Amino acid sequence: MKLGLKNIAKSFEVVKALQDVSLEFHEGEVHAICGENGAGKSTLMNILTGNIQPDAGSILLDNQIVTIHNNQQARSLGINIVYQERSLTDGLSVAENIFPLPPTKSFGRINFVQLHQQTKALLQQLEIKEFSPATMVATLSPAQKTLVEIAKALATNPAILLLDEPTASLTDKETTILFSVIRTLKQRGVTVLYISHRMAEIKLIADRVSVLKDGKYQDTLSTNNCTTEDIIRLMVGRDLQQVDVATHSTEEVVLSVKNLCGKGFSDISFDLKKGEIFGLGGLVGAGRTELAMAIFGAIPADGGTILKNGHRIHNNHPKQGIANGIAYLPEERKTLGVFLQKSIAENIVSAQLYGKGYNVKANNQKAGEYAKTLNIRSSSVQQLMSKLSGGNQQKVVLAKWLNTQPDVLIVDEPTHGIDIGAKLEIYKILKQLTADGKSILLISSEMEELLLLSDRISVMREGKIKGILNKKETSENEIIKLAAQ
Amino acid sequence: MIKDRIVTLSATILLLCIVMSFLFPGQFPTVGNFSQIMLNLSIDTIVAVGMMLLMIAGVFDLSVGSIVAFSGGLAGYLMYYHDVNFLVAIAAALSGSLLIGFINGFLITKIGINPMIQTLAMMGVVRGLALMLSGAGIQNFPYEYNYIGQVKILSLQSPIWYMFAIVLIFSYLFKNIAFFRRYYFIGSNEKAAHLSGIEVEKMKLWGFVIVGLLAGIAGILLSSRLGAALSTSGKGLELRVITAVILGGASLAGGQGKIVGAFLGAAFMGIVGNILILSRVSGYWQEIILGIILILAVGIDQLIQKKVA
Repeated sequence: MKLGLKNIAKSFEVVKALQDVSLEFHEGEVHAICGENGAGKSTLMNILTGNIQPDAGSILLDNQIVTIHNNQQARSLGINIVYQERSLTDGLSVAENIFPLPPTKSFGRINFVQLHQQTKALLQQLEIKEFSPATMVATLSPAQKTLVEIAKALATNPAILLLDEPTASLTDKETTILFSVIRTLKQRGVTVLYISHRMAEIKLIADRVSVLKDGKYQDTLSTNNCTTEDIIRLMVGRDLQQVDVATHSTEEVVLSVKNLCGKGFSDISFDLKKGEIFGLGGLVGAGRTELAMAIFGAIPADGGTILKNGHRIHNNHPKQGIANGIAYLPEERKTLGVFLQKSIAENIVSAQLYGKGYNVKANNQKAGEYAKTLNIRSSSVQQLMSKLSGGNQQKVVLAKWLNTQPDVLIVDEPTHGIDIGAKLEIYKILKQLTADGKSILLISSEMEELLLLSDRISVMREGKIKGILNKKETSENEIIKLAAQ
Repeated sequence: MIKDRIVTLSATILLLCIVMSFLFPGQFPTVGNFSQIMLNLSIDTIVAVGMMLLMIAGVFDLSVGSIVAFSGGLAGYLMYYHDVNFLVAIAAALSGSLLIGFINGFLITKIGINPMIQTLAMMGVVRGLALMLSGAGIQNFPYEYNYIGQVKILSLQSPIWYMFAIVLIFSYLFKNIAFFRRYYFIGSNEKAAHLSGIEVEKMKLWGFVIVGLLAGIAGILLSSRLGAALSTSGKGLELRVITAVILGGASLAGGQGKIVGAFLGAAFMGIVGNILILSRVSGYWQEIILGIILILAVGIDQLIQKKVA
């Protein structure tokens, strides 16, 4: 089925989320939609699934104008979506999750035989072999759960499938499995709308890519004849080159980790120098986060030593890590990093609730200074964290850790899920910090980021450091080789 | 939003008072009636301050009503049967209450028992202890003991002053002391609080100890004011106190609320109770209305949160 959007507009109060957007999706293509946070991608998805109504414009299915009032209607028209958040019930089987309204016998008893048969047929169509209809969802990996979500969406036989950041929590290997399913769908003539932040993926899976910026349609490119830089330029109108990447690394060793062992990593040794950004690359699950948390004191280390400025330190609780001048910016911002219902100012002081009184006025003033230097965009420092964009939230979390006056800052996926504009700002802040004499341990799964910022890069695999590379003499390929093998 | 709750609740109470003054001009707006209302809500408020602390941290304690009975019972038992000095008896009762809070906190934070199950079980255990101690009730306390809860200062009975003192002290602590401030962070995101260097488990353990102590104080005041320790003291107190705290702006999800909200919530319920008495509504209705108020308070809270989200 061919899907078209014509002159779609939608405003929320004063914010123009979408302005005059016209798009066309061909039958059986994988069409990526790109844009920074706030570019209007989710609004577009919500309009297509009937969650919200456009102020103006029309949706065309095979050149017929349709109105979509709700989710159910979208499904009956053949449009279905797989959301970023999971909707599965862990305590039920794959089959029961895929068919929330299962076939029944008399007295409303579930016809399990038929249910399992139809699930099996569906899984076969998708060429999914990793699990069977009776498998409990609780036992599945994140990727397998995503596949179940997709199967669930496909159970309604949609002609158009919307995927919202489907690989957000997947490893590279799992992503490969997902992509092969998407290709199967494509062959069957399903149109796939693919939303993702990850440029590499888009080049790999999508046929065409449309870019939105500030609610306006920019352009549609064929992925065969464009580069990642082309897409980024459309999204932001600036590129990564503008970050000053001069090194500030000195020879003085600030943190020295020797033979550190713990759950998920073993025999880790490295030196972190003053003013250095030390990159920690590797795949998801390589033990990098566990290592960082052990250095910080959030989880216990089983053996080995940590020296700070030549003195041995023992961090058994984050409290001690902070006292020893180490800060840790966690990977999952929403669940581990921020207090969403607290204000910006309260978030900024949250790592310093020891030994002092609590002075609201002084805190607000301090927060105000950080808001200025880090360019945190908000109406005031009293604003609730939940009202900020991901990029601004991350800057608040950075401010919180800078406020503890650390010598060593561990940042775990610092630009995960934030838009490119804020990303560049965070890069600049991190570089500026090293100029001020701080040392940074950077954990990142984005090669581009690692190569751009790090002075040296170590690669972890299966809990061990597989090699330390100097930036000048390394390349993306070399890192991937060490990380994967 | 919490600020709003303090304002809206105060306004509601004020409005209620004005309307009642017109309906019962001779009975409602009198010094006597108001000091009676205050006296009645003083015990609840003292416990509610502790409950507010726990709910800010995202947990709660169902055993407080039983601790009130236990505390008065233990003090009475020691004084009546063993001629123990009243100060020693009070010290023992408070230590016992504190210990119960410690056991609750220890099992919840170190062993990982669900707070509702743990304190529900403790509610039964401690009620049983209170029954063992005070049986059908203990009377004839030393004069000094009764004096504590019966003396009048500036024509108000002492429990009212204790209540105000506790509310003011805890309000100050929650505003100005980092230790207490941490509870807000624990309640709003426990994992993030841990990574911010806050010792979440230790803090929660302390929270249960503080609540135990406050319930113990309430128990002493209640038995001293009545001149009797009854095993049925504080029955249903947990329901009243949790209702008051939620009315006062606490959220079941944690991270929200102010100490003064605990007082306002208890005051609202005290006034509603007074109105029911003045209107000659049967005592049976009081519990029904109390339950309905709790459902309404939580329901409105949910609606507000939906609107915010």
